Amino acid sequence: MSIINYASREIQFKIVYYGPALCGKTTNLQYIHQRINPQNRGDLISLATASDRTLFFDFLPLNAVVIKGFVTKFQLYTVPGQVIYNATRQLVLRSVDGVIFVADSQWEKMEENVESFKNLGDNLAQQNISIDDVPLVLEYNKRDLPNIAPINYMEYVLNNRKKRLQSFEVISSTGQNVFAALNAVSQILLHKFSKQKDIPQGPPLPVAIPVEPPVAQTQSTSV
Amino acid sequence: MNAIPVLTIQDVATLDAVLEDFLKKSEAELTVVIDRGGNVISQSGDMSAMDVTVIAALAAGSFAATRELARRIGELEFNALYHQGNGSHMFMNSVDDDTIMITVFGTCTNVGLVRFYSASAAQRIATILTTLRRSTHTVAFQPSAAPVFADR
Repeated sequence: MSIINYASREIQFKIVYYGPALCGKTTNLQYIHQRINPQNRGDLISLATASDRTLFFDFLPLNAVVIKGFVTKFQLYTVPGQVIYNATRQLVLRSVDGVIFVADSQWEKMEENVESFKNLGDNLAQQNISIDDVPLVLEYNKRDLPNIAPINYMEYVLNNRKKRLQSFEVISSTGQNVFAALNAVSQILLHKFSKQKDIPQGPPLPVAIPVEPPVAQTQSTSV
Repeated sequence: MNAIPVLTIQDVATLDAVLEDFLKKSEAELTVVIDRGGNVISQSGDMSAMDVTVIAALAAGSFAATRELARRIGELEFNALYHQGNGSHMFMNSVDDDTIMITVFGTCTNVGLVRFYSASAAQRIATILTTLRRSTHTVAFQPSAAPVFADR
């Protein structure tokens, strides 16, 4: 749970990138770290194996001023996607404020996507958080690969619910829609705590924008 | 509308007083109180050379990981962890179920002194935090509509 500190005029939020193994969670953070103004970010910390597989988590702190008079600290984490690391995923999810679920668009990864999404719900439930209550958006990643499922199929598999989540067609290696997804979850999160009851319609206000316009950002599906 | 727990200026001053007293007695360099999710609650000491946000995230992870180790030998968790360096060392101890206290110290003091004084400091912090959690200070805010990070 986030805390607002009136003495240091700071608010802290924790956003976690969740998804199956090798879906591109770390690549998301690497792209954000690379493109955001260095004054507004800290170091990217990766606790990975020798073969660059996430062992514990990746961590990237971002600063923003989205609330007048307060520095808002967004702390971005990734979880290890490999099935055996569920205990670690539970630890990283502790006190989470928002989640970006990164799905791998390749056909052969669909079962792992579904399994990981279910695992997210189970691990949130362990903290007494309902997956319907946590600010959550979906990334359909690797849209540049040849063997990918169409978006409507991905939506059917992962977003087939009464209140549909915002989803984005993402190519995390080039940065396509990486910031769009981050901004979307940040806005949902901020408005959850704000005096406004509804999230404003239309394009989301940028909370974190890259220092240079990323290539071809197109949002696929909205609520 | 949801509300975020608030640390008022008075709350922070009360916590800071405990931390400053602890630093003075233990002769440690800095101390940080964090929640187990890695959020910084309060800090005291020389922060100039360190990124407290990163230290908090890593310490929360480290503490959580060793909890699993503790369970393997029949303990609920390890109450304290000590990381020994060549010149700088880190001591972490549990404050309560949701909070950890991290202390960084150098050659001016030793782990025994830090451990001794951190125990009483942790107790005092736990009492303060228990009171804070019962208080009704919450706030809901209006996010700014302006873009935050400008293009370079």
